[in-house]
Amino acid sequence: MAKEPILSARDIEIQFTLRGKVLKAIRKCSLDLYEGETLAIVGESGSGKSVFTKSFLGMLDANGSIVGGSIMYNGTDISKYKTEKEWMTIRGKKISMVMQDPMTSLNPLKKIGKQIQESIELNQGIKGEQAKKLAIEMLAKVGIPDPERRANQYPHEFSGGMRQRVVIAIAVACRPQILVCDEPTTALDVTIQAQILDLIRSLQRELNMTVIYITHDLGVVANVADRVAVMYAGQIVEYGMVDEIFYNPWHPYTWALLSSLPQLGVKGEDLPTIDGTPPNLFYEVKGDAFAPRNQQALAIDFEEEPPFFEVTATHKAKTWYLDPRAPKIEQPKSIKKLREQMQK
Amino acid sequence: MPEREKLIEIKDLQITFGSGRKAFVAVDHVNFDIYKGETFSLVGESGSGKTTIGRAITRINPVSAGEILFKGQRISGKISKELDKQVIKKCQMIFQDPMASLNERAKVDYIVSEGLINHHLYKDEDDRKRKVEYALREVGLLPEFASRFPHEFSGGQRQRIGIARALIMEPEFVVADEPISALDVSIRAQVLNLLNRLKASRGLTYLFIAHDLSVVRFISDRIAVIHKGRIVELAEAEELFLHPLHPYTKALLSAVPIPDPELEKKKKLLVYDPSIHDYSSDKPIWEEILPGHFIYGNKKELEQYRREIKA
Repeated sequence: MAKEPILSARDIEIQFTLRGKVLKAIRKCSLDLYEGETLAIVGESGSGKSVFTKSFLGMLDANGSIVGGSIMYNGTDISKYKTEKEWMTIRGKKISMVMQDPMTSLNPLKKIGKQIQESIELNQGIKGEQAKKLAIEMLAKVGIPDPERRANQYPHEFSGGMRQRVVIAIAVACRPQILVCDEPTTALDVTIQAQILDLIRSLQRELNMTVIYITHDLGVVANVADRVAVMYAGQIVEYGMVDEIFYNPWHPYTWALLSSLPQLGVKGEDLPTIDGTPPNLFYEVKGDAFAPRNQQALAIDFEEEPPFFEVTATHKAKTWYLDPRAPKIEQPKSIKKLREQMQK
Repeated sequence: MPEREKLIEIKDLQITFGSGRKAFVAVDHVNFDIYKGETFSLVGESGSGKTTIGRAITRINPVSAGEILFKGQRISGKISKELDKQVIKKCQMIFQDPMASLNERAKVDYIVSEGLINHHLYKDEDDRKRKVEYALREVGLLPEFASRFPHEFSGGQRQRIGIARALIMEPEFVVADEPISALDVSIRAQVLNLLNRLKASRGLTYLFIAHDLSVVRFISDRIAVIHKGRIVELAEAEELFLHPLHPYTKALLSAVPIPDPELEKKKKLLVYDPSIHDYSSDKPIWEEILPGHFIYGNKKELEQYRREIKA
């Protein structure tokens, strides 16, 4: 692709120290983000999708740190930032985040309007009345009716969907270039979920933002994403355009994820499941991290870590299946059936 | 349709919270039967009263009007101590959040056998241990886990403990209140399979409460859609998905994300506006519009739904 990425993470390694032991949460993860696109990161809990994106904002917990690689943004390597002061030039201004649970991400003791105003005052240097006006404008923009009255209310007076709208208002108040949405709709009802996804999409268009979605709901991915990255055990194992991932996936983990969708279930039969558990990242992982859970794993999967193989210019998968020397392996039938099943 | 045994009958159920001026009617005019051996799903958004109904059946919430029958016996309101004990044994509940529903300070051994202890359902200590071991094995856990604490388990394992705790009472009827919505995608499939297997091996009947329609289609025999405390539509699972009639059901179905980028991006989202119903003079009724397909509406709407069926 000729386009220049606006953010480029290279071989990121992140470690956490827990009770004297070292946990490698992210193991050499690379990612390019292009302007205006929507990228979805999928994976099961504990695969490191939140940790990876939090590192773009310097929001890792105190016991975690980036120990290798670089994150190039606007010509500087932000992975080398140490102090809060440095991070404050990025966080909230250039890159913002929407958290999962709107019930816990707002301050219950402060009025809604004040909380948005705070973000504006801190990041844009606009003070007092003017910031307040902007805050009310933001509330109207995220679709909260009667914003002037609502700005004077506390979070407990808002429903879950409305609270998530407020969180989004805070995140986009400073017109960030990149918005990270960490499971923005998992705590919400399906009908509300559809509304929130629509809201994020229209804000993205209006403010020309690049959006990263973190989710484990493949339905949401199909709805919002231009590109998809699949994460497993601290690594991206496959990435590509959304159609390529859904219709022509290559990594066995992506296969497993897609075929365990309840929508593909046949009544009276068991749903396919992924046996076993993800590897313990306190220990060194040898070979392909997914191999122990993959029934069709090749011998080399247990020995050597696969590199990325190119499927198309935009689609790459980290699996030995794509090596020219590998035996011919077919994609599972259920995935080919995905199309027909969904049309019903 | 052959006459099937009704396990649960709900008649004109009303549940009210608070009293006097502050009274809030959470569930009103709810009628449905659950047949033996089926999975009956109750679907609706949060605050629609679906959990409240489930809790009323297990006698956690009191009923303010109407009645609930279990095997033909009334179990709502004032009942004898004897019957109360029986209902508690025979109707068990699996809760939504496995992180919050297990006692953090008790070992799995105690959590699973708490029901046995309360009802003196074991002969001696050995018998109790054997029952716990059997229940744990049945849900796919190892008997060694009995001596551990809940925090040592993952979400999926905890939910299995919750299921084991319900099973050990040898229930006939289980209320599963969103048992998988707090779990990861890959673990969801495992828990669903487990529930389905247990249904077959134990002859269980489920009331499955959910807000995610995609899951419901796979496991249920019949589905009821509930909105603001009223059931608006009830039909066999496939029938409901293929021919939804009530505007709320349609809106709910359209909101479910389809895991297929092309279809999902083409999909039109329907929004339900309750003000389209004009119930001021023409009062709505609960009508069986097709065999087994019930809908809530007034005469004019029912006319329209009938035309829709013919079209």
